[in-house]
Amino acid sequence: MRLPTLTLLAAWPFVVFATESSVDAETGLSTWQTDTQGVQVRLTQISPDQARAFYQARGFSPEAAERYASECVFMTVVRNVGDRPIEHRLADWRYLSAGQPPRSIRSKDEWEAIWIQANAAETARIAFTWAQFPTEQSFAPGDWNQGMTTYSVPRGGYFDLQFVWRTEDRTLSGKLEQVRCADENT
Amino acid sequence: MKIPDRIVTAALAACCLLGLPAAAQAADLPPLSHSLTVLEPKTAPELKFKDLDGRMHDLAELRGKVVLINFWATWCPPCRREMPSMERLTQTLKGKPFVALAVDVGEDADTIETFISQLDTTLSFPILLDTRGHSMKAWKVAGLPTTFLVDKQGRIVASAIGGREFDHPEIVKTIRELLEN
Repeated sequence: MRLPTLTLLAAWPFVVFATESSVDAETGLSTWQTDTQGVQVRLTQISPDQARAFYQARGFSPEAAERYASECVFMTVVRNVGDRPIEHRLADWRYLSAGQPPRSIRSKDEWEAIWIQANAAETARIAFTWAQFPTEQSFAPGDWNQGMTTYSVPRGGYFDLQFVWRTEDRTLSGKLEQVRCADENT
Repeated sequence: MKIPDRIVTAALAACCLLGLPAAAQAADLPPLSHSLTVLEPKTAPELKFKDLDGRMHDLAELRGKVVLINFWATWCPPCRREMPSMERLTQTLKGKPFVALAVDVGEDADTIETFISQLDTTLSFPILLDTRGHSMKAWKVAGLPTTFLVDKQGRIVASAIGGREFDHPEIVKTIRELLEN
């Protein structure tokens, strides 16, 4: 009787923090998701062609869209599935890829500086800003949001994402493991 | 058989013209919620914009009505998905002192009208144009969609971040209670 109980207890942390992945049969694009301590985080690949098309349709030049598409882009969803308010700051998140120290996600402000230097139109920059995942946000139970995040990882390369949030004066974190950057021809 | 790159790119451009990429529109979409967060009542900031027909709408002139204010954009998948439920909510509360306002952020009328023409539902509520996103700061909107419920006294009393099924019984009940107060 004791052995199964101990086994379950030993396995519990891995069940709670497990990263689930799936592939969309229609698009071939992959999604990684984890639920931990009342927070659900999901990353879905956005292919380079999709990123190019999306931003060109919003007024970016082919060169500027190419600059964005050269990054590894993911649709990012965070959902408060618990019963307490949470808050998070993207600046606290880190991603780890082989041979690199932990890195932070490029902020909207950093992108804005790049777009101003590239002479991107204001309307395109406004659309860009709102299409990115919010810099910081507070979520009541049931709230959620989505937006794009970018990672400087080679095509087909892997990384782990450590996400951080606060609830009731406690800082918590979780991890999405072995997330894969979309290939050029996904 | 390899499909020429230019055809692939053209197809993707078409699919991305209004919404986010297909990955965000796949079958396994994040579900829409139906919760509203009740807030301590506070006076709503100014909201005054023209709609698609050029008619001005001013929140200050809607005192005595319950107002649902939804900040959205056509490229935002949950915004697009919740829009028909806003129309169903409007129909459910037809004849009551209730108004829904959809404030589009950062887009022009042509883009919005193209999106509306592709919907199965005809939208009866006004779509307001905040082409430069000026209202976002005053309303403290960090991401789209974000929705507020304003009571008859012009106070924000509830909010929702992320896509919602606005005609869900729980949301309808909350609004009916506000209508009775």
